[in-house]
Amino acid sequence: MRIPIRMISVATTIFWIFLIIFAITAVYSVKDLHFEFGEPQMSTNADNDVVLSLPIKIGNGGLYDMGPFRVTTIISDRNGSTITKGSTSVHVVRRGENVTATHNMTIDINGLIQGDHNYLTNDIELNFYVEVGLGVAEVIPVQVSTNLSVPWGAPFYNFTLGEPAYEAFNSTHARVTVSISFENHAFFDIAGAIQIKMYNNRGLLVGNGQTTVDTPQHSSYNGYIELYVSLTDMTPNGRLEVYFQTPPLNYGPLVFPYG
Amino acid sequence: MVEETNNNLKARLKKFTFKALKATVKGVIFYVVYFVLWITFLAQAAAIFPGLQQMIETFVTVYIVLIILGELTSGTIYQFFFDAAKSLFMIGYLILSLNGGKLGIAVQNVNLVVDIRIFLTIVTLLSLLGLAKAILQAINFMSERAEYTQIQPVGA
Repeated sequence: MRIPIRMISVATTIFWIFLIIFAITAVYSVKDLHFEFGEPQMSTNADNDVVLSLPIKIGNGGLYDMGPFRVTTIISDRNGSTITKGSTSVHVVRRGENVTATHNMTIDINGLIQGDHNYLTNDIELNFYVEVGLGVAEVIPVQVSTNLSVPWGAPFYNFTLGEPAYEAFNSTHARVTVSISFENHAFFDIAGAIQIKMYNNRGLLVGNGQTTVDTPQHSSYNGYIELYVSLTDMTPNGRLEVYFQTPPLNYGPLVFPYG
Repeated sequence: MVEETNNNLKARLKKFTFKALKATVKGVIFYVVYFVLWITFLAQAAAIFPGLQQMIETFVTVYIVLIILGELTSGTIYQFFFDAAKSLFMIGYLILSLNGGKLGIAVQNVNLVVDIRIFLTIVTLLSLLGLAKAILQAINFMSERAEYTQIQPVGA
């Protein structure tokens, strides 16, 4: 019985030494792991959704292969409803290798604004949840997560329509000028057209006009739209409907009463 | 008769001193291993996980006490009790103190979770192997003693 006991002792000792060495080297390998986040890129896809891309460079200078590497991001509104969710995973990062992964998040801007038009004209705080997971030496999962608050910049912040200014054009029509002003706080440029339809107090369309806008992000716009309306249908009050055709954003109508 | 008792006492004292010395050496070696591990990477881990240092120190203290007791009682059945106790202590203490292998920490708004269940499973299996070894050694010790006591009257 002494020999089997001796063999168990030897085997146990070898396994313990192996385990301790593995634990130490695995922890040290994490030190030689490098992450680099590139500049976020913005593009639009075929469905006219905004795609935010974040390049992530992972360098594994450690002693073991690392993986799976996974990044998950969730953007939600104040009520906790998910606006967008993105997930990127790299199956394995072999030792001595550099891998570049691109983390994509697709935001349906139109759907977002259709759901709540406050996103169009008001800056809002959004919840941003980030979760990064990594398998150290492919066997010890480590996960880091955090909740951040990120500002949503409204593309038409403080959108204001002035009172219509009437001017006689000819015997049947008047020229109506409506001033427009807003600030583009969004993370994308605004280029396209804004259309206004004017309805009288009986709900009859009396005129419409549009103007082109080209407002880079973080800049303001001041302009006006001219409409030609029939004198006979014109009433002192009614409503103005504003349509935004500024890809990737197409929204309307935003209704303003006048008079 | 007195001389024989004196010789017996001397031999026992010598044996106990040797055991104590062996226990001290083993305890010191274990502490040195712990100290090296502490300097190399445990201190960094303890800086991240609060309470880890206290947990490790408690573990090392109890384990060294069990090593010393095991050595002091070597040559008796109690040695194997302490060996078994060491294995059971390691399994129970690690499972309880490491929260079943899922270590979590929240620093401000950042949550860190380390899943060492695989590592803990291997440690548990190795400790079970140690427990099995202690039981086998105890059985072997008892059977050898039984053989000896059976042989003694025949030879006497």
